[in-house]
Amino acid sequence: MTRHRNLGLVAAGATLLAAAPLSAIFEHWTWLIESAIAVGVVAGAAALARALRAPLWGQVLGMLAGLTLALTWLFPAGSEILAVLPTPATFAHFSELLGGSVRDMRSYGVEVPDTPPLLFITVLGVGAVAVVVDLLTVGLRRPALAGLPMLAIYSVPVAVYVDNVPPVPFVIGAVGYLWLLGADNVDRVRRFGRRFTGDGRDVDVWEASPLAAAGRRLAVLGVAVAVLLPLVPVPGMNGSLLDSLSSGNGSGNGTGRPGQGGAPGKIDLFAALSGQLNESEVADLVKVTTNEPSPFYLRFGVADELKSSGFEVTNPTGRPVTRDLPNPTVRDVGGVERRQYEATVEVTRDLDMPLLPVYSEPIRTEDLNSSWLYDDDRQIVFSNRENSRGKRYSFDYVRSTYSPAALRAARKLPADHPLVRRQQTKTPPVPQVTELVNRLVQGKATEYDKVRAIYDYFSSDNGFSYQLRTEGGTSGEDIVDFLTNKVGFCQQYAAAMGWLVRAAGIPARVAFGFTSGSNRNGNTYTLTNRNLHAWTEVYFDGIGWVPFDATPAYGVPGSTRSTWAPDTDAPDPLPDQPGAPNTGTDPEESPGAVGSEREDQDTDAGLALGEETPTEQAPVWPWWAAGSLLLLLVLALPALRRLALRRRRGRRAPAAVAATEPDVGVGPAAGRRMVVVGADADQARADAHAVWDELLDTLVDYRVPVDRTETPRATADRLIGGVLSGHAESVDAMRLLGRAEERARYARDPLTGEPLAPALRAVRGTLAAAAGRRTRLLAAVLPPSVLQRWRLTVADASGRMVAVTGQARHRLLRWNPRRLLADRAAR
Amino acid sequence: MTQQTWDEVGGLLPHDEFRAASEAIVANIEQVIEGKTATVRLALAVLLAEGHLLIEDVPGVGKTKLAKALARSIDCSVRRIQFTPDLLPSDVTGVSVYNQETHDFEFRPGAVFANLVVGDEINRASPKTQSALLECMEERQVTVDGVTYQLQTPFMVIATQNPIEMEGTYPLPEAQRDRFTARIAMGYPDVGAELAMLDGHGATDPLDQLRPVSDAATVRRLIATVRQVHVADAVKQYAIDLVTATREAPDLRLGASPRATLQLLRTARAVAALEGRDYVLPDDLQALAVPVLAHRIIPTADAQLARRTTDAIVSDLVHRLPLPNDRKRSPYDTRPAGGNGRGPYEPRRP
Repeated sequence: MTRHRNLGLVAAGATLLAAAPLSAIFEHWTWLIESAIAVGVVAGAAALARALRAPLWGQVLGMLAGLTLALTWLFPAGSEILAVLPTPATFAHFSELLGGSVRDMRSYGVEVPDTPPLLFITVLGVGAVAVVVDLLTVGLRRPALAGLPMLAIYSVPVAVYVDNVPPVPFVIGAVGYLWLLGADNVDRVRRFGRRFTGDGRDVDVWEASPLAAAGRRLAVLGVAVAVLLPLVPVPGMNGSLLDSLSSGNGSGNGTGRPGQGGAPGKIDLFAALSGQLNESEVADLVKVTTNEPSPFYLRFGVADELKSSGFEVTNPTGRPVTRDLPNPTVRDVGGVERRQYEATVEVTRDLDMPLLPVYSEPIRTEDLNSSWLYDDDRQIVFSNRENSRGKRYSFDYVRSTYSPAALRAARKLPADHPLVRRQQTKTPPVPQVTELVNRLVQGKATEYDKVRAIYDYFSSDNGFSYQLRTEGGTSGEDIVDFLTNKVGFCQQYAAAMGWLVRAAGIPARVAFGFTSGSNRNGNTYTLTNRNLHAWTEVYFDGIGWVPFDATPAYGVPGSTRSTWAPDTDAPDPLPDQPGAPNTGTDPEESPGAVGSEREDQDTDAGLALGEETPTEQAPVWPWWAAGSLLLLLVLALPALRRLALRRRRGRRAPAAVAATEPDVGVGPAAGRRMVVVGADADQARADAHAVWDELLDTLVDYRVPVDRTETPRATADRLIGGVLSGHAESVDAMRLLGRAEERARYARDPLTGEPLAPALRAVRGTLAAAAGRRTRLLAAVLPPSVLQRWRLTVADASGRMVAVTGQARHRLLRWNPRRLLADRAAR
Repeated sequence: MTQQTWDEVGGLLPHDEFRAASEAIVANIEQVIEGKTATVRLALAVLLAEGHLLIEDVPGVGKTKLAKALARSIDCSVRRIQFTPDLLPSDVTGVSVYNQETHDFEFRPGAVFANLVVGDEINRASPKTQSALLECMEERQVTVDGVTYQLQTPFMVIATQNPIEMEGTYPLPEAQRDRFTARIAMGYPDVGAELAMLDGHGATDPLDQLRPVSDAATVRRLIATVRQVHVADAVKQYAIDLVTATREAPDLRLGASPRATLQLLRTARAVAALEGRDYVLPDDLQALAVPVLAHRIIPTADAQLARRTTDAIVSDLVHRLPLPNDRKRSPYDTRPAGGNGRGPYEPRRP
């Protein structure tokens, strides 16, 4: 029973470890706590059932009952008995939660918040897996099968993140599975006897058996291969981890959020208050055709969480774009003119975002499937599964233009407004900013006037200028540094204005998108990474989000200004004075396109696009060619090594000339040794050895057995009696080779003056002729001798490593605390 | 009696003279023992290696004939001892008797005072008598009544024994067996040789017509020449490996002694010289392993139960033991690094 209990606990623990990949989906860790409770109750129920010696079906029933109790306690409907006993109302509540989870899954993007339906389905899933794992492991003793339900958990994040899944949770899950297998195996061995090492010592429960070392190594290797294999860059395969690792730099302050990081074609949606734009290449990202005469910016992202370093993106929620989208024309407000246009967008393969650029506000889309969702509040189109690469779609949209008068009529937001509640007016406490804002909005009556005061503040009159790089400061706050240095690019202007407006108590956020750019062909605008832009949006009660672009217009090609937010730097006759906003009515209703004339400057890249964006689609074939070449090279390595070896040995063993050595027998004349060795004896020895080594390698190559216990003479005799028999020349040659090696090894004086190289060639030729075609081919392409030697080297190295680590582990085990816990009697 | 001490061997023989002398002895013996060239050469090699020979085989295959033929081929003093159960040690070594004329004790040399001593049926004598040979075989001297007498050079004991009969025999003690350099078996002659034997031996004993073809002085020179044969370090290492393997083999209770190593190399030198080489090959050691080592070792009870003879065990070891290669590690060595010189039975340490 103890064993069963142990194994049941291991099964529960392994299930929780296997649930680790879910951490990539949830924003918080609540799911883990609740799942742990559910799994714990299931394990407890299983242990109890087994303690009562319940049959297998009884155990399963017990676990299911435990899971139900846990779910009831965690997700009560309010009518439970004693808070844990479910009533019919509870199950009705459960089915409601299930329905809600389907809805939430569709509407939330990763990472999802802790909504009860999502938590419910998670706890239910993990609990069910715990039941199955326990059943398979303890009940049926088939722990290997338990990997399947565990894999089911892992498949959840895989389905959500199409590109890449973080490897660490996978490793944790795999470790859980391996733990389960190991525990089961230890249990199995202990059932019939003792665990012992090869040298007869018993192995404690807490100790890893040295006999299972090979299995452990295989397990580690398997996990490592599974993690590392996707790292290998394969041309044409996207989402390779290496790509995103290597391009993580240069994209400003990366938020590191999945899908929004600095991968190629991905735009870092983070409005940083400091940074540097580093755009060396230009790539076409979007081609948009619209029937609107002079469209405002193309939008795709929103950052609405303010941190002290800038605005950050939060997770959008939404509904499929295939349904009807809210039409702003229904909320008709005086002074706001709304016109409907249509546009077609073609995204190139260089823009790879889970977001689609649209003009705000879209009301109907075409050519998009239901995996694309629309966030009403943020007015963005996003997806949790797809990305924008190569998408082409069209949509109808409503363009709103606001008259200053209408904006001025907007009232202050009530304190219970959802936007205020969602902290869209919250700013980090920076006294200098508060002071500045208080000074700017002093005496301004309406919300619009306050916003204009702040907007106008970012003018060249106040010393603000455009620069692709912010300057450092000493205040410790990026916002103060920017407001002091007064240089930066669109991100800083958008974020700073958003901050200031928020500080004035008005909701604001940063929008990301494209300006209209400078490349216009009829109604079609081709937008590049240099047209990426960020601007501020301010919320006015009853009207909605109104864009303000505080960035100096000269830095932004295609910059568009409007009547409610005119260019503060433009030397136009408008009575735009900082601190003295235009109070007069502007007769112009249409958004004034005060596009900068300095389009040739073309410097504003607006937002940093992940580097490595090629200017044009690089052809793929060089990759394939290089890859094939590399593969060929790798395959040819053994053959090349063999050739090099042969050449080296051949150079060493020329057909040694001269050397007139009388065949030295036993004691020549009267005990005088008169050995005349012509060539250098050492050289002759080395030559003989080289030739012999080459012969042995040749034997291995041609699959002729080589025996380590054989002397050269015996080897020669064996070959002469076997493969070489019948080839007189080869027989003589072989005899010569054997004699030369024998003399080189054992005699006082080596054999000299014999042409060894031709002899070797003769033997080699006969061996090759005797070998089959397949053997010959292998000998030429993948010489077994080289492979064998390499294998041996690897085996030696690994053997040494195992010895070293074994010693280290043995030393470490002395400090293992489990040693104290283990009851030795249980062995 | 002018005694020549052991180290006073003659000068070296030139190659062709060596060859002629040794071939003459072999050819002479082969007049008596047909079709046993290898055995005969081995017997001669033992003589040249300054060792002693134990010929062990079933009765009637020519053990005694070989011993006598070898002794007769060399013109030197030959004594024969018929080992019987009532033989006394003093019959072997000699005894001091009182000479009434000189009123003094006088040493009467025993049978071992000869160049070649043929001990027939050695296992029929009691261990007491067998032990009399211990000193003379190893130290080539006899000590009687506190006086040590040197034996002549060459000195060789050729003993025969019958392995089949158990009744009334005393197996040689280990110490005694270890003193024999080699144990050889005659084996049955093949059909042709047996036919020739019938023809030749039918009327007369060819042993009677055998004339010596060599003398003690020549043998001494032969021995001196054999001593000069070169033994490479690798070969020495191989000999040590081989002997170590017998000590570590799980099948063996007693392995070969250091004396065995020494005698193995000596015999290998002699074999190499007989083959016309001035260097020893591992092949020589391999060929000699069974004759030189097998009679010294004792198998375990398990191996005996499994009916594994010592010959089989030694020959098995030879087939397993890799050649030492001091140049570098062989790429075909599948054992972990640093395994060179380690016996094949070294227990694996985890």
